Amino acid sequence: MKKRIIIGLSVFALIFFAGGIYIVSTIEKATSTLDRLIRLHQVEILREQLLTDARRVQADLAFKGTHYARELDTVVAHVLELGNEARSCLGCHHSEEITAKITDLVQQVQNYKDALSRVLTIRANTARLEEEEHRAVDVGQQLVDQLTTMTSLTRARLDQRTRASLQAIGGMKSVLFILISIGPILALGLAVIFIKGFTRPVGLLLQATRKVKGGDLSFRIQGLRDEFGEVAASFNEMSASLHEQIQNMQRAEHLKMVGEMAAGLVHEVKNPLAGIKASIQILLQEGNVPEEDRVVLTAVLGEVNRIESLMKGLLDFARPPKPQFMPVDMNSVVESSITLSLPYSSVASGSRKAVEIVKRLDPRLPMVMADPNQMQQVLLNLFMNAVEAMPGGGTLTVSTSENLETGSSPDMGRHIQIEIADTGKGIDEETRKKIFQPFFTTKRKGTGLGLAITKRFVEMHSGKISIDQNPNGGTIFRILLPRTNMEETTAPTGALTGR
Amino acid sequence: MLRGCLLASILGLALLPGLAQSQERKETGSDKSLLIGLIPEQNIFKQIERYTPLTDYLSKKVGVKIRLKVLTRYGNIIDNFASSSLDAAFFGSFTYALAHTKLGVEVLARPEALDGSSTYHGLLFVRKDSGIKNVKSMKGKRIAFVDKATTAGFLFPVAHLMRHGVTDYKTYFKEVYFTGTHDHAILDVLNKRADVGAAKNTVFERLAQTDTRISQELVVLDKSANVPENALAVRRDLDTALKRLLLDALLSMSNRSDGQTILLNFGAKRFILTADRDYWAVVQYAREINLDLAKYDYMNE
Repeated sequence: MKKRIIIGLSVFALIFFAGGIYIVSTIEKATSTLDRLIRLHQVEILREQLLTDARRVQADLAFKGTHYARELDTVVAHVLELGNEARSCLGCHHSEEITAKITDLVQQVQNYKDALSRVLTIRANTARLEEEEHRAVDVGQQLVDQLTTMTSLTRARLDQRTRASLQAIGGMKSVLFILISIGPILALGLAVIFIKGFTRPVGLLLQATRKVKGGDLSFRIQGLRDEFGEVAASFNEMSASLHEQIQNMQRAEHLKMVGEMAAGLVHEVKNPLAGIKASIQILLQEGNVPEEDRVVLTAVLGEVNRIESLMKGLLDFARPPKPQFMPVDMNSVVESSITLSLPYSSVASGSRKAVEIVKRLDPRLPMVMADPNQMQQVLLNLFMNAVEAMPGGGTLTVSTSENLETGSSPDMGRHIQIEIADTGKGIDEETRKKIFQPFFTTKRKGTGLGLAITKRFVEMHSGKISIDQNPNGGTIFRILLPRTNMEETTAPTGALTGR
Repeated sequence: MLRGCLLASILGLALLPGLAQSQERKETGSDKSLLIGLIPEQNIFKQIERYTPLTDYLSKKVGVKIRLKVLTRYGNIIDNFASSSLDAAFFGSFTYALAHTKLGVEVLARPEALDGSSTYHGLLFVRKDSGIKNVKSMKGKRIAFVDKATTAGFLFPVAHLMRHGVTDYKTYFKEVYFTGTHDHAILDVLNKRADVGAAKNTVFERLAQTDTRISQELVVLDKSANVPENALAVRRDLDTALKRLLLDALLSMSNRSDGQTILLNFGAKRFILTADRDYWAVVQYAREINLDLAKYDYMNE
């Protein structure tokens, strides 16, 4: 979102800047055009003023000696103005051709001034006076004709240029109007996009918090990106975590209740059962018990033992003993567990060579804080399950390794991993989901408590247990145990090890 | 020395009529202004253009607004002083002698040319191809004077004619006329509008610089004695302090950088103090042609 805001604002600033530059340059251009036009009109006015002055002096000359003649000072002032205006034309920048024409004009004005000076100062006979006056009038008329021609020619050109300039300025004005109109619309559009960009994710987040508040912890926010996407992901994680914790709490409560019931039940059943068992054992020791009764009594004793075993499992699950933590080398625990499970494996598989056990133990595996008995029970459970999963034989692979924080479970920090993989028939996904639930079993005579207790023990060690499909066929159980309590311990001192 | 005293006494006596003309004028305060007259020494428009920078400079230095009034006749200077419209003027030598005699105007200063001269003289000239060699051969021809109130353009040529036996120039020539300016007298002879002409040498030389025909096609038959160059003279009753300021401003021009530039464009090196005695040659010419300055009718016929 931050990136989008920066890009959006940059684009807007760029458009605003470009628009500003265009407007300024357009105004500058229009001003220059108008300025040039004004100067051309000023020149035109100057030229027309020159023509007017020339005509005025001609009039002065015509009225000379009559009642209507102007004062000499006035006539002189008119001629001087004419001369000054003609000279001022040379002050402007012109092309070579125009400069030549204006120079010629200035010379013509000078000739006129010479002739006028002569007319004004000479004292002679009438014929000479008339001759001088005619000469001055002729020179003046030539000047007037020259100026008239110039003025009419340039006026036509100026009109044309004025029309073209005004048309160009009109075009610029239209573009300016469009730009000024588009500017606010663009700004409004960008504002709407930004507001929508903010309000939609905020609305979604608000809706999600309300759902969670209402107890719907399965609600997940979808479709958000950028920073809002990250917030949504955190929110979803938080919801999932809450969901899991509540489930855990419910389960713990459930287990507590089951444990209390089991403890009570075991307590109530244990004594009568012990009586039954003792009685049967006494009966079996009797010599006069017929054989068919002995068989029945033995079967009853077996069932009693089974009930006892069930009672113990139930008690372990419901009220597990508190782990006795100590530094433990898990390689040793694995080794001892394999040794203990070997006889069972041959029995279970029906052939000593049917199940091959492969060990891939990391010799540099660090020590962890654990209860070795509980860990051994965990491993034995898993080994026995693996062997039972391979009735036709197979390979049981046990491996240990150390993982760093960036490993498969970064949330656990540094930890060790124990993998038990079999090449049995495997477990389908639906079963995998339920396999750690208490009383869930696929075995005919199973109690459904073995894996539940296993999970319970691992979790009591702040560890994790998971089940996965073995790529080579079969199943992989993976146990992760944290190293938090065993920071840098690598060589055990007085620890329970097999090494 | 004796000649100088004589001139001074003549001019002194002639001052009396001018005293009667003295009037009350306002020359002090912020609204004071001076009107200075210009004689039509050359094309009147060129004359204004030549003198305007000089009077602008004086305005600035003296603190008085100065306006120029160009006249179409030399003699108008006298009339304008008489009608009290002029406060000062750049007088030609003869018009000053007249104005001083009739009105009592006081000369202050005159320019000294770049070549160091502060005087001019009159020239009598004809075209080389006219065949006129002397006064005798002028008979029946057309003569172009400048003005009856000029030394070079009238006083001197008439004196020359009289020295050669011509007592009435009006009948001796086929046509007599007054061009009004020196340059037109020269140009008229050059362009064959007149056969004989008279003008001041300074204008003759100035024109010759731009028109080579003048030195190639004209020939000078005689030249007059030197007379003072056109000088600034003021009416007698002008405020003494203002007179002093004007004189100081003119005399100090050559010492100031802005003044030097204006002087250079004016065609002068500096302004020098001028007195009545500098005009003795004019008085001499007047005597020679029996001209009474006090009674002289300066208007052209």
